[in-house]
Amino acid sequence: MSVVLAVRLINVLGALLLFTMLLILASGQLYRAIYAVAAQAVLLGIAGAVLGAATGNIDLWVIAGITIVVKAILLPWLLIWVVKRINIPRDIEPVIPINVTLLFAAGIVVLAFHLSASLGSVRQAITGNALPVGIALILLGVLVMASRRKALVQMVGLFASENGIFFTAMAISQGMPLIIEIGVILDVVLGALVMGILVLRVRSSVDTDIADLESLKG
Amino acid sequence: MMTSNLLWLTPLVPLAVGASMLLLRDRRLLAVLDVAGSLAVLGMVGALARKVSSTGPVSALGTFRADEMAVLFLLLIGLLGVAVSIATVGWMRNELARGQIRAERLRYYYALVHGFIATMLVTVLADNLGILWIAMEGTTITSALLVGFHGDKHGLEAAWKYIIVTTIGISFGLFGTVLVYGAAVHAQGGVFAGAMNYSSIAAIAPKLDPGIIRIAFIFVVVGYGTKAGLAPVHMWLPDAHSQAPTPVSALLSGALIKCALFGIVRFHTLARGACGADFSQGLLLLFGLISVVVATPFIIVQHDLKRLLGYHSVEHVGIIALGLGFGGKLGTYGALLHVINHGVTKALVFLIAGDAIGRYGTRDMRLMKGFLHVAPFAATLLLMGAFSLAGTPPFSIFISELVILRAGLSAGHYVIVAVFLAMVVVIFAGLIHHVGQMVFGEADKAADRGREAFSPLFGTLLLALVMVLLGITIPMHLDRVLARATETILG
Repeated sequence: MSVVLAVRLINVLGALLLFTMLLILASGQLYRAIYAVAAQAVLLGIAGAVLGAATGNIDLWVIAGITIVVKAILLPWLLIWVVKRINIPRDIEPVIPINVTLLFAAGIVVLAFHLSASLGSVRQAITGNALPVGIALILLGVLVMASRRKALVQMVGLFASENGIFFTAMAISQGMPLIIEIGVILDVVLGALVMGILVLRVRSSVDTDIADLESLKG
Repeated sequence: MMTSNLLWLTPLVPLAVGASMLLLRDRRLLAVLDVAGSLAVLGMVGALARKVSSTGPVSALGTFRADEMAVLFLLLIGLLGVAVSIATVGWMRNELARGQIRAERLRYYYALVHGFIATMLVTVLADNLGILWIAMEGTTITSALLVGFHGDKHGLEAAWKYIIVTTIGISFGLFGTVLVYGAAVHAQGGVFAGAMNYSSIAAIAPKLDPGIIRIAFIFVVVGYGTKAGLAPVHMWLPDAHSQAPTPVSALLSGALIKCALFGIVRFHTLARGACGADFSQGLLLLFGLISVVVATPFIIVQHDLKRLLGYHSVEHVGIIALGLGFGGKLGTYGALLHVINHGVTKALVFLIAGDAIGRYGTRDMRLMKGFLHVAPFAATLLLMGAFSLAGTPPFSIFISELVILRAGLSAGHYVIVAVFLAMVVVIFAGLIHHVGQMVFGEADKAADRGREAFSPLFGTLLLALVMVLLGITIPMHLDRVLARATETILG
């Protein structure tokens, strides 16, 4: 695959990643947000494969495979399993109105592109628009977490944020060392399991969403 | 045996001890193994420190490395591990007697503590910045389970806030790491051996693109700063540190937040090399000042003993950041000394606070009068610890705060020094008022006046000894470690 084609594909995938992020931000339903973050992980896997083909680095193919298995199948499955177990209302109650959230999101995307446009030659080290898209995804993930008071949506925001980091990491020359990527993904899975345990324990003892507890103050 | 093997054996020991604990059910055996495991770690850390001081930095497997910076933090983790595990023996006995922890879940508690210590050790020993991050997230996962270990509503709420806020926080740190890696690869024109290693990136730091390193350092300070409890990203800290089981609180406040600072210091060194001292020092000053100012009012109005100590940790992390931000030999040396002083003192006070809360059955300091009559030894140590935390001579924290202040003055940051001094005075008044109220007066009849047992007393005594010693003099060996670590940071 030629470099020019790879750059164009990465830019298209970056745009699609941002689009799925907006779907998460705008979704009023928990399942939709979970499916959107799964779709995001599939796009991330495709990006890994594209970069693997462009650089001839087999590690990137492995990372692409792991990404799809873990982030597009395993983690969404875990989230859906927890949703069914705790049987909560599936509408998402935003803390900030969704319109305002989307306005913030637009600002963040502009800021991210502006920020990375200010960088000099070092931008060449990262393929296409992967740097601004990565920064935007991370900040938008935080926005999702801050604007919703539902444990599972906060987890979706966290995963989306981490997708942004992986996207940028893949696009750096040859990607990060394989062993590091695997370690990071292992942490993500273990962290998600512990979060799931906490959500289930609170649901079974006090019957509320863990993110709704606010007895600790001052 | 090659000494470099110690680099990977040191974290492996608590990991193996923790795993074997899962198979045990006997309370005494678990406690013995807990203390023995901690002693083994301290011994190995000591051997590493000797090796590093005689032959310089040691590295192994291309991913682990110990220099004086690492040795300093390793010694803190090793010492606190031993003191805390000694104190845990008595604490656990009381906890079981009061029915707070069920006997069949004991082994999970001990195993998680050792897993937690292992991840902290890897954080400090990692040369590869990716491994450093992975271990840092590992500390969150193991300690979040410990924070929520009691399983009550408050504990679970604190554990949730802790894991969700610090996980998203340090993902910023990972992004910063990725950017630094990208800059290093770009500077060398391609991937090179050890491209993610701190030592090899530090060697080429002046060649890194300053623009991208600036962005990377902002991400790192926000990211690892969340984990270190720097305001304004500290909101999880008072909850987690106050709700965790007491020995875990001591480790969280004494050692873990220092490990996060260790991460910041590593990147600070790289950023200094790439874009000069001003940028990263300015950012650290900003975060440090916000932390000191934000923590003050919460300390004044606090009535919950462990929450008070939590907010107090935010203040002291801020002071360490200020020391690093003032920079120069003096500021950096003072900040590193403060890491040790605060770690030791805060762990001491947390352990005694746990004992007091057990005796009174409440955490509200207004209801805990006359601690001096209830438990004279512990109350004396608490009073000493509180005076030390408030920055009174002749205790250790006074020395490091003084060094940091002098660094601030000689760097010409008069306004920051003035604000810092004002806050320290206010906090002194607040802290001594709170603790004085608790120590003196007539004790409630209901308070448990039981004999002060060997444990936790011996564990706290050990820490108090170090605290007093460091107030009187800085031992020659420690001074050399501090001086060399300062040199590494300043390049």
